[in-house]
Amino acid sequence: MSLFEMIIKNSFRKRIRFALTALSVAVAFFLLTLLAGIDHALNSNIGGNSQFRLMTSHKVSMTQSLPINYQKKIAKVEGVKAVTYASWFGGYFKNEKNQLAMSAVEHTSYFSLFDEYLISQPDLDSWKKNRIGIVIGQGVATEFGWKLGDKIPLSSSIWMNKQGSFSWEFVVAAIYQTKGASVDDKRIFFQHRYFDKSRAYGRNNASWFSTQITPEANLDLITNQVDAQFNNSSFATRTTSEQVFIKEQAQQFADMAMVIKVVLIAVFFTLLLIVCNTMVQAIRERLNEIAMMKALGFSSFNLIKQVYLESFFLLSSGAFIGCLLANITLSQVQKLMSNFLSGITIDPSYYFYVFCLVLFAAFICSFFPALTIKRLMISNTLGAKQ
Amino acid sequence: MMNNNIELKAINKTYQKSKNSTDNQVVVHDNFNLKINSGEFVALMGPSGMGKSTLLHLIGGLDKPTSGQVIIGGEQINNLNESQLTRWRADNIGFVFQSHHLLPVLTAQANVELPLALTHLNKSQRKHHAATALSLVSMADRAKHFPKELSGGQEQRVAIARAIVSDPKILLCDEPTGNLDRKTADEILSLLAKLNKEYGKTIVMVTHDLKAAEYASKVINLETYTYDLKAHNVQEARL
Repeated sequence: MSLFEMIIKNSFRKRIRFALTALSVAVAFFLLTLLAGIDHALNSNIGGNSQFRLMTSHKVSMTQSLPINYQKKIAKVEGVKAVTYASWFGGYFKNEKNQLAMSAVEHTSYFSLFDEYLISQPDLDSWKKNRIGIVIGQGVATEFGWKLGDKIPLSSSIWMNKQGSFSWEFVVAAIYQTKGASVDDKRIFFQHRYFDKSRAYGRNNASWFSTQITPEANLDLITNQVDAQFNNSSFATRTTSEQVFIKEQAQQFADMAMVIKVVLIAVFFTLLLIVCNTMVQAIRERLNEIAMMKALGFSSFNLIKQVYLESFFLLSSGAFIGCLLANITLSQVQKLMSNFLSGITIDPSYYFYVFCLVLFAAFICSFFPALTIKRLMISNTLGAKQ
Repeated sequence: MMNNNIELKAINKTYQKSKNSTDNQVVVHDNFNLKINSGEFVALMGPSGMGKSTLLHLIGGLDKPTSGQVIIGGEQINNLNESQLTRWRADNIGFVFQSHHLLPVLTAQANVELPLALTHLNKSQRKHHAATALSLVSMADRAKHFPKELSGGQEQRVAIARAIVSDPKILLCDEPTGNLDRKTADEILSLLAKLNKEYGKTIVMVTHDLKAAEYASKVINLETYTYDLKAHNVQEARL
């Protein structure tokens, strides 16, 4: 009888209790993993060029546009390296269920700022020359089976063209790859100058400006200087880092950081209570056996080690199930939210974090049973039965 | 252990009834002396509350005297610390209790193997030892059975196999037949007598049962503080 066999047999003494407790652990880790996936998405763009990028939008709302000539004014601020702009198109293919993350972008500068989208130079040149050309991500190309040269009619839920139609004609001019898994490969870009000339209203305006700053520049100072320029105009701005901008978009729905913290604390406090209670109960039921094992020569340390491993087995079973289910769910969530928030995935280092968490939780859960075992008087326990 | 002699010298054992009181003490043994020679089968008798089980626990290192010396095989065990005592018990003592305390999740074979987990024996050696112990108590054919599939007598036989599997020199039995019918009790007692006579185990058995005491080579009555070499011939002699 190996130690491992002993742990398994003891764990499955009360199978329903084990299953229910493992299920509660699984739920806790399911939630933790889901939130970790979303948190990863919120933080995935930190690093690379994105840490040197600012986003400037209308102070009141993202839905209100800003004049395109802000580009030159922002570029004059000290520490600014380059400025580009873009407008949200609100596109869809065939029907509104096929929503697309589609933007009109300033064609000369946009992709030099956003170098996480990898486009071959010939394709990029070809796109720049083609007024109705679109750059699509590999994910879009795969999903819809589009290839270079295809003529694609796309509709907008916001913008009407001069012909009075919401349907726009495009040609696939380039397909981009991504630098990493966290970069969204389901975006579509087209030329802002075509957008401006073709739309029926709102010309010479853009939804937001993206500003690249030099590595040695003071981010806060530039942010303040950019906004100060337009403070008293009718198009006042709000400038933030790109990361804050993405987080704010997500937090239109909920304060994710707060939700994550509150849920985690509640879930793990409850989890510890449940598993602690289970382990205390399991050991109380086995006091006579434990006393007998002590009489046979098993040391307290040996028995405590068994209880710790039992707790660990219970917690890790639940954690495994929870993480597995969360991974499946996250892949579905990523598909549904790819237009809204990219990079919903689990970083491999997260599993090391879960492992450490399970080790620690097992320590907490086996603490009181360990005390019981240590204090157990063999003569009292075995004597009381007779 | 050089020999298996058991010596209790000037043993005092008191229990405190209440944690908050200092004068509320129960004296179980007062200046008690006892010597059991290696290879003896001794029955400890007497009414409840006389400290029979307490003596057994002192000899087995499960409890410590308030004062006095417990010397087993020339080693004073009441001076050993907790971990030393644990190791000492594993090497020298086999316990058989009224309740068998078998682990319900393990088969008879696995229950008997349990004490061997503390030895350096490999898996096949452990299996072999356990099988030998089970056949010694005539339970070889029940090796794969779980405790709930065994009768009370069979469970006690498995408990005895577990007690002897690591070949301890001393067996301490606390009312080993207390839960059994007469016929089964006689079978268990015959088995203990066999272990004593054929395998030289020193056995100390606590019992209320005069019939059980007949199997012992010496009976010690704690009430009269006397012993008799033949239990069925009640000639009490004051020590």
